[in-house]
Formats: sequence, C-alpha cells, structure tokens
Amino acid sequence: MLVSVIGAGTMGSGIALVCARKGHQVKLMDTNQSVLEKAQSFLQKILNRDVEKGRISESEKEKIYQSILPTQSMEQLADCEIVIEAVPERLDLKKKIFQDLSNICSEKALLLSNTSSISITEIAAGCKGEERILGLHFFNPAPVMPLVEVIRGMKSSEENVQKVVQFAKDLGKVPVTCNDSPGFIVNRIARPYYNESLNILGSRIATPKQIDEIMTKAGGFRMGPFALQDLIGIDINFATTESVYTNFFHEGRFKPSRIQQRMVQAGRLGRKTGGGFYDYSK
Amino acid sequence: MTIANKKVLVAGMSPLAQELKELISKHGAQVLSLDQLDEHQDSLDYVVEVTNYNLEDKKRIIQQIDQALAARPEVPILTTSLAITATEVASWTTSPQRVCGFGTFVPLAERKLIELAPALQTEESIVKKVEAFVQSLEKETSIVDDEVGLVFPRVLSLIINEAVFALMEGTASKEDIDIAMKKGTNYPYGPLEWADQIGLDEVYAVVRGLYRDLGEERFRPASLLRKMVLAGRVGKRSNQGFYSYNK
Repeated sequence: MLVSVIGAGTMGSGIALVCARKGHQVKLMDTNQSVLEKAQSFLQKILNRDVEKGRISESEKEKIYQSILPTQSMEQLADCEIVIEAVPERLDLKKKIFQDLSNICSEKALLLSNTSSISITEIAAGCKGEERILGLHFFNPAPVMPLVEVIRGMKSSEENVQKVVQFAKDLGKVPVTCNDSPGFIVNRIARPYYNESLNILGSRIATPKQIDEIMTKAGGFRMGPFALQDLIGIDINFATTESVYTNFFHEGRFKPSRIQQRMVQAGRLGRKTGGGFYDYSK
Repeated sequence: MTIANKKVLVAGMSPLAQELKELISKHGAQVLSLDQLDEHQDSLDYVVEVTNYNLEDKKRIIQQIDQALAARPEVPILTTSLAITATEVASWTTSPQRVCGFGTFVPLAERKLIELAPALQTEESIVKKVEAFVQSLEKETSIVDDEVGLVFPRVLSLIINEAVFALMEGTASKEDIDIAMKKGTNYPYGPLEWADQIGLDEVYAVVRGLYRDLGEERFRPASLLRKMVLAGRVGKRSNQGFYSYNK
C-alpha cells in the first residue's frame, strides 16, 4: 500500500519504519529538511542494528530503507491510500494539515491522526469527508510497543474503523477500538498510577522509593510510578494529565499534582535532565 | 524467626482469610478460627482479621477478639486497613496499642511484599512483632503511614475504578480495555480481569473507604462497581464479574 507519515520526529519515523517493515511504500513528510535528515540517520541506525543482530539481511535492510521516501511537500501525498499524521500536539497545526489533506488526497484515502490527547472529532470538523478521518494512536517506541488505539471520531464511519483495524493487524500490531473521549483508553486509565502515587507522596504516606518498591513487588508492575515518570519525562507526564483534566472539564479524578508541577517548573524532568524523582547524575 | 507451633487466629470475611490460613499453616503454625477463640484465648500468639466490605461485621469481630484477650494486651491484632484506617479500628478496642494495619489483595502467591500500616496508637513493640510475623511467611514488608487502602491496594483500586467509568461510558469494550492496559503500558493484568481476580467487593471497599475518609471527588466510586457488588457479581469467586467463569 502507499502510506504516508506526516512529521518525521521520533514517533513519525518510528511509524514509518513499522509500515516499511511490512512492505508498504512510505512517504515520510516533514517541512523541515534537517528533521528529515535526522530521521534518515535514525532509521539507518535501527536497521543496521537489525542486521548486526541477524534479524534481517543487508539486502532486506536496503529494501526497507529505500521504501521510505522523504519529502517536504504535502502535494506529493496525493496518491497515498493511508496518511498518518504525527506532528506535535497542537490543534491549529493538526487542523490545518487535515484541511489540506482532505483537499489533496483522494476521497477514499484514510486520514489518520496519531494524537494522544486531541479530540478526533475536533480535528476532523469542517474537513471534506469527515467519515474517513480517524485516530490511530501508537505507543512510544512505535516499532516496539504492540498496542494501537483506533479512535472513532463522531463522524468516522464504522466501515473505515474496520479498515483501520485491519491495517493495524497487518502491521503486526494489536488494535483496540475506542470512542473519542479524553485520553482514549490507556492515557486515561493509567492516570491514577501516577496521580494517586503522587497524592500518596504528597500526604507523606510513603516515599517515592518505597512506593516504587511496593508497586513492583506487591503489585507486579514492571516499573514503579516514579521511576516510570523519570523515564517518560515528568513534563510529558504532567502535560498528559493536564490535558485529560482540562478535556474532562476539570473532573476531580484527574486533578494534576502540585508536586509534579513544581518538578516541571524546577526543570527536574527525569532521566533526560539527569534528575527527577531519582538522581541520575552519577 | 519462625511461627512453627505458634497459634494464629485468622478471622474475617475477605477472600484473604482462606489464603492466609493456608499460608500460615504451611509455615507450621496452628491456625484457629473465630469459634475457637474462647478455648484458646490464654494461649493465642497472633490475631489476623480481614473483613473489608462490611464494617459493622468488622467492628463486631474486632471487639469480640479484643474482649476475649483483654487480659493479654501483648497479643498483636493485625487487621486489614483497606476500607478503614488502622487508627479507627484501634479506636474500637480497649487495647488500641496492639492493633496494626496491613493490606494486600489475593492471590497472595503473587505478592512478594506486604505493606504494614501502624495506627497512631500502635506500640513500637507490636510493630516489630507483626513485621517479624509477616516476614516469617516469606513476604517482604514495607511500613507506610496509616491511610485507607495503603499504597498498592489504593492505587490499583483507583485504576480499576477508572476502567469501570470508561466501561460505563462506552469508551471501549471490557476486552479492549484489558488488552490496551497490558499491551500499551505493560500492566501484568487488564484492570477488569484483575478486579475479577481480587474480588469486586474488595476493590469497592477500598474506593468507598477513601471517599468516606478523605471526601474528595477523585475517590468517587463508579456506580457500576457498586451495583455489581450489590448484585453479587464479585468476580471469579462468584463465577461472574466483568467476565463469566463457568466451572
């Protein structure tokens, strides 16, 4: 199939790789040339590692690499059957892209957003052919995490939902379907893992180290909530919570934590800054 | 320390009771039930009480035990603080210094660690005793402050509560909710199948207890969770929870 991915950041290039590995022709579009170049060296690096580990041959690597065509022009996407948008989480940006796509692409093309927090219904509003605009939410890192959420906007057709589900299965992913509600499934139901742990910390019931130990040893979770926030980025985690909270019209169950806000304000964002709830500077 | 040949009274309505009895007797102790209390009140070494859903029953059982052991305030009472604080349970007794909270969910085989929560009134010597007791069952311990639901039961119950809200609202099917949490964020179980395994009554008791004690909107129980408990659909134990289990 002819697939295109818009946005060549970590998510976009990861999604492009997932598609190329399954034999799709992929156009990877980004308006920024240096981002495209970075994406290409990132893809090279991953594919080289696959060859080193004996997962693919040199010729398979070349074939996959060559099937991802970088482009800076949206016009180039006119012949694509499936477009997956993976640009930063800004409504104005996404709305503009889907407006343009709905004019450029054929009426049968499926136009999908990898948004984790913006309403699909809102992105699709006013576009030509709203029934073919849906969410297809990958999890980071896209080449590794098996789940994708297929999100039904208010005007998405059931036929298109089934097409996207099948497309995801063919990519080797595990698709689940959900309605267009804030945080979809995972980012919503996982909120208490972080928020309630922060609340427990805020009431001095236990320390972050204790809570992590309890959740892994008593609960069987793979990583404790604080170690996991440090890995994800405390700023990213806080932004997700704030977005879910705002979009649920300030429902108290999603109320963000002031401890987390202070960490973000102080620039203690986790591993990427050398420190978060734990110290990584040594 | 070993509990071999010690006498341990296990009382209460939680599914934890049966599993605790098996675990304790596996470690060589003599397990007694509530109807043997009078006969053994002079020689009992430990009491474990695990009622969570019906707090009137819990009060009655705790007071019965405390009175029978009135002359022996050195005997610890380890009580689940899942739906109520250990401090409140201790306030029902004449020897509050012997009461210490703890909390976990079944199946115990999957718990490498069990949390302990001393009440405000708990004496340090009692904390040491119950810590050693739990460790003798080959479980690590972690001592946390006394609040309803401790840490693991509280966090997990609120995840399950949120999953039930999502289900009630038709956001996704129960199967997709469970798959999403396992495959999208590496949870050991999906929240709804996990609730079936633990017992919906246990989960509901934690959420309701948090709501009762702390009064915040974040602890409001999902009405479907409450209705399923009232309808007796508590999970695997009753062959029907979010999923059906035919024997």
